Amino acid sequence: MSMIEFKDVQKYYGDFHALHDINLSIDAGETVVLIGPSGSGKSTLIRTINGLEEIEEGQLLVDGFDLHDPKTDMNKIRKNVGMVFQHFNLYNNKSVLENIMLAPRLVLKRDEAENKKIALELLDQVGLADKANNMPSALSGGQKQRVAIARSLAMKPKAILFDEPTSALDPEMIGDVLDVMRDIAKDSEMTLLVVTHEMSFAKAVADRVIFMADGRILEDSSTEVFFENPTEPRAKKFLSQVAHH
Amino acid sequence: MSGFFDAFTGANLGYLMGGLGITIGVSVISIILSLIFGSIVGVVLFERFPFFSSFVGTLNNIVRNLPLLLIIFFTYFALPQFGFHLPIFWSTVVAMSVFQSAMLAEIVRGGLEAVDVGQFEGARANGLTNMQTMIHIVLPQAYKKMIPPIISQMISLVKDTSLASGIVLAELTYRGQIVYAQNTNFIVPVLIFMTVVYFLLNYGLSLVAKWFDSRLA
Repeated sequence: MSMIEFKDVQKYYGDFHALHDINLSIDAGETVVLIGPSGSGKSTLIRTINGLEEIEEGQLLVDGFDLHDPKTDMNKIRKNVGMVFQHFNLYNNKSVLENIMLAPRLVLKRDEAENKKIALELLDQVGLADKANNMPSALSGGQKQRVAIARSLAMKPKAILFDEPTSALDPEMIGDVLDVMRDIAKDSEMTLLVVTHEMSFAKAVADRVIFMADGRILEDSSTEVFFENPTEPRAKKFLSQVAHH
Repeated sequence: MSGFFDAFTGANLGYLMGGLGITIGVSVISIILSLIFGSIVGVVLFERFPFFSSFVGTLNNIVRNLPLLLIIFFTYFALPQFGFHLPIFWSTVVAMSVFQSAMLAEIVRGGLEAVDVGQFEGARANGLTNMQTMIHIVLPQAYKKMIPPIISQMISLVKDTSLASGIVLAELTYRGQIVYAQNTNFIVPVLIFMTVVYFLLNYGLSLVAKWFDSRLA
């Protein structure tokens, strides 16, 4: 069953056609990597999936809900679809532990003792058990991103959207974050959609790779085919460019 | 010239301190009301609800651009003509609260706009409703940035209570005038007394603000 489905989706910013004729289906449990040059619409596409950007035309079904239908309660979708941002977006006024516990408490009404237990387990999973009582401002970028991942996981979502999760990090921080993401991809049943420039990560964990340029999906192939034998010339060019830096 | 302290007989001093009590009473109630209503109006302005926000914004701009004394005259002299009779103390409180709410609403709106949009997106993506996002994430961060301008607004509120002497509310300034009207030798001592009292009141307020600021930082 598909978890996320785009049918002829169009998105405009004024006159700018940001997403062109998007048709895409992602099955539950799949790990899909979305790549492409900057300005290609990757972030816009991923942000439509939890309603941070609205679509103008077409149909977008997420977990069975139609996002283009004004009657759809967006909070029901967001409860089941987590998001990890390039700039972390941790709650600046809450401790690390509270960042993780807040949404399960308010949205899922999870029992407080259980909530804390789950939060501490998740912090342990991302290697930050000793930072529970720190404020986000006391963490490095890589640590913040791992807390943000734990915060998403705490909701036990069906899918997590990663919007360039390592692009704002110092190079030595990237590995720890990718390791955490790799473990999630391997061990869980969640649907993962990752916008990234980390090709080795894509090769290692993705079931599928989608290549976008100019607001269009130009290639949608299995990981193996995409890296060994891409059909789209612009994807070939993009791969050779990222391989050389 | 008689002695400086002749002005401060027990009766005069008690009368002045009673005025100070009224000044503080008007101030405290108006501060609380204007914090509540100013925050609500500020959020309405920030949210840009269709039609409603621009309507509220227009009213807010009108109030902000009127002299406070005019609003005090309105609540005290004009409201009774429309059938709303308020005692003088409460006319003043209503006028001060309306005016200060309008001033604070702009501060609140500005404070909300200064919060990083990522804080909203993080919370919304995490499943929080708009209201939960405001209450738990955005407003606490906005208030932290707003403390200095809010406090200077509170200080002008305390000072502006003296305008109510214009409708003969027996607050500190009005009672000062009554006391030095007894004897011109009292003018300088009483004005100095009022200076010191207003200063201590407002300086105390700014110390509280500093304490809050350091606690929250």
